[in-house]
Amino acid sequence: MPPALENPITLWLLLTAALVGLVYAFMRVELRWKAILYGAVLIACGVAIWPPYEREGVPGKIHLGLDLRGGIHLVLQVVLDDALNATTDDAVNSARDGAARKGIQVASVQRTAPNALSVDGIEPARVKDMRDLLRDFLRTGWDVREAGENRLTAQMTDLFQRQLKDQTVQEAIRTLERRVNALGVTEPVIAATGNRGDEILVQLPGVTDMEQAKRIIKTTAQLSLKLVENSAATQETLLQGVAGKVPDTMEMASGPSDTPGQPTWYLLRKEAMITGRDLKNARVGVDESNRPQINFSLNAMATDKFARETGRSIGRQLAIVLDGIVYSAPTINSKLGAENRITGRFSTQEADELSKILKAGALPASLKYQQQLTVGPSLGRDSIRAGVVASAAGLAFIVVFMVFYYKLSGVNAVVALTANLLILLAVLAYSGANLTLPGIAGVILTMGVGVDTNVLVFERIREELRNGKTVRAAVQNGFDRVLTTIIDTHATAIIAALFLFTFGTGPIKGFAVTLVIGLVANVFASFFVSKFLFEWVLGKGHVETLSI
Amino acid sequence: MEILKNPNFDFLGKAKYFIALSAIFIGTGVAMMSTRGLSYGVEFSGGTQLILHFQGSPEVDRIRAAVDATGPGAVIQSYGEPAQNRVLVRVAQEAPESDLDAPARAIREALTRTYGQNPVLESSSEIVGPTVGAELRKKAVYLTVLGLLAQLIYIAARFRGGAWGVAAAIAGFHDILICLGFLTLVRYEITLNVIAALLTLVGYSMNDTVVVFDRVRENLAKRRKEPLPKTLNESMNQTLTRTLISNGTTLLAVLGLYLFGGEVLRGFSFTMVVGVLVGTYSTVFIAVPFANWWYARQERAGSAKASA
Repeated sequence: MPPALENPITLWLLLTAALVGLVYAFMRVELRWKAILYGAVLIACGVAIWPPYEREGVPGKIHLGLDLRGGIHLVLQVVLDDALNATTDDAVNSARDGAARKGIQVASVQRTAPNALSVDGIEPARVKDMRDLLRDFLRTGWDVREAGENRLTAQMTDLFQRQLKDQTVQEAIRTLERRVNALGVTEPVIAATGNRGDEILVQLPGVTDMEQAKRIIKTTAQLSLKLVENSAATQETLLQGVAGKVPDTMEMASGPSDTPGQPTWYLLRKEAMITGRDLKNARVGVDESNRPQINFSLNAMATDKFARETGRSIGRQLAIVLDGIVYSAPTINSKLGAENRITGRFSTQEADELSKILKAGALPASLKYQQQLTVGPSLGRDSIRAGVVASAAGLAFIVVFMVFYYKLSGVNAVVALTANLLILLAVLAYSGANLTLPGIAGVILTMGVGVDTNVLVFERIREELRNGKTVRAAVQNGFDRVLTTIIDTHATAIIAALFLFTFGTGPIKGFAVTLVIGLVANVFASFFVSKFLFEWVLGKGHVETLSI
Repeated sequence: MEILKNPNFDFLGKAKYFIALSAIFIGTGVAMMSTRGLSYGVEFSGGTQLILHFQGSPEVDRIRAAVDATGPGAVIQSYGEPAQNRVLVRVAQEAPESDLDAPARAIREALTRTYGQNPVLESSSEIVGPTVGAELRKKAVYLTVLGLLAQLIYIAARFRGGAWGVAAAIAGFHDILICLGFLTLVRYEITLNVIAALLTLVGYSMNDTVVVFDRVRENLAKRRKEPLPKTLNESMNQTLTRTLISNGTTLLAVLGLYLFGGEVLRGFSFTMVVGVLVGTYSTVFIAVPFANWWYARQERAGSAKASA
């Protein structure tokens, strides 16, 4: 094809110009504008779907759904408690810091539920000060109450929890988008789904390596820096040091040690000094002995806190924990600033993958898989073949029957049906909607409904002819009388399809989309185009018989 | 060429036999559903379903031996045409939310271990956590009922009478029950695709009903004095050829889908085939007789009042 014709608009203009020429040469005046209008629409549709499927590396215009193309479909649930816990932990820290700054003595500040905290054992004289302090920095979003002797509780309001939920889900979606883009998937879908709005749909067309996809997606990349209380080669040794039970304020984690295959166990302070949220940037670097390391920098607020806390803990070990694994636990030699690093036994690739994930952002909460669907490419190909064979069989049957039963008028119906399918495919191509296997079923059903419109009209014309009307009047009446029926039948069918659409999940949505487009296109094709064809064939003069 | 010349069937007169027939069908279907239970597809019941594509012709016995070692009660059957070397493995056991993959992975590993000479080339899977299924089931019922209701309202508004809307909705509901009965009978699973087919056939059945009602509306406007049953019967006869041709072609199109559409669409196309048949039937023998009964009752009530 010459390059000028590769632009669809130029191609469309050229073809339409040719059509206008033909129409002026061969068509009666009163039919011209209709011919040009209908023709231009159909030509536009033809241009829009060319080429329909991938050929010689040029991607096809019809987007195939996951079930036909192969790929991965995941539904993940965001564990909202994670986000609530983190927010409440922040509040606990600020309460503790605030009390210390103001010199208020409190016995303990702790999280009592994912969305609540309590301050216990406040010195009696300053309960009111503490309450004001809490109200001041928690501001809106929390209900602060006095709960018994020298005790204050704070609970998140429902509104705040809802906001937090939306924010968390949106943040998770953005993070997943960044990660999936790094994966180089074409046309991924990442969107909130589900009734409660805490689920995320991820569709990766063309990807079939579930393990790789899941590794990238699910790595929560929750980075935290925690003070080490104790470390040992085994869990048992650690437990002996704390009388057999891990205290509430601590947790146990392991990480690689100098001897491969032998982990080191750590007893860590539960509350993190720094978390992934405090990160400004992360990139790969090399350490003194040229091994890959990850450099990261903190944002301004976190830098202050980090400097203060590390200044207080010189000589102690600080564990760098990523997704529950202690990567390294360097000793704090001095007050630390904004620029820091994670050393460990990374390969360059691991360091690269990790820094990307850290930069793309940690997920604000962990994710749980609710549903996963993999379609292998060959299963998809077989489905396409089956779908095409079934459509072809259906179409062939309808064509033969219509021409046999309605003769020349049957040809008219076949033209209308072709136009109907052309429009349907063009809208699919243009809107980027996916053609799924149920979508192909929708196409077949559209053919059925399309034929119904023609049959309704033709039967009515026959009836009018039987009642002694002239051919022209019969055709006119046939179309006029049937219009209300067509509107009502299509409206009810579209209502049903809209409900299907709200059902939401991939393939069924595809089915509903094709059904709705097909129904609308049908009114245009089987009513207006078909009527035009009758007018054209009947000509201007007197007509005795109609081939119907 | 014409299929029927001036048909003149007394549909309403025979309606009571067909209503009885429908009642028997629905009764049997409901009884079967309650004793045997509907079998839900993996997206509704939760669990793991794998479609494994083997290099050579798969031996189901050996696959069963391998899969049974990972957990009992798996369904194993060949999938699609024999030449495609595909086997469907369905594990009812719930996939744990923390590690949804676990059962699928165990099966794949067991197969590599004990049936390594015929390796799996491609594995498609559908794994659904337990909470999703229950939620989807609820949503399916909810949407079907709402869909019916919306269509009822539309028809009632367009035909200026609630009875027409109710009649069409009852016919649609009747179709769903009968389809569910047939699905239970042949032991097809209720999958998302089948739900799509059910909702579509409701639309299709309504579509068919509306064509007849529309003719009734037109005839009623033309001749007001005729008794309603006569107009109803005539309208059905006038649209009979159209009903046969349109629904016949659609039936053959979906039949083509059932025969050639491949394994994935089997349940969907089966439902559509039954649905098109039942949808046509229900217009003539459920929807129209209901409208007739409704208006006859109203008239009796009216004349009773008038004579009193």
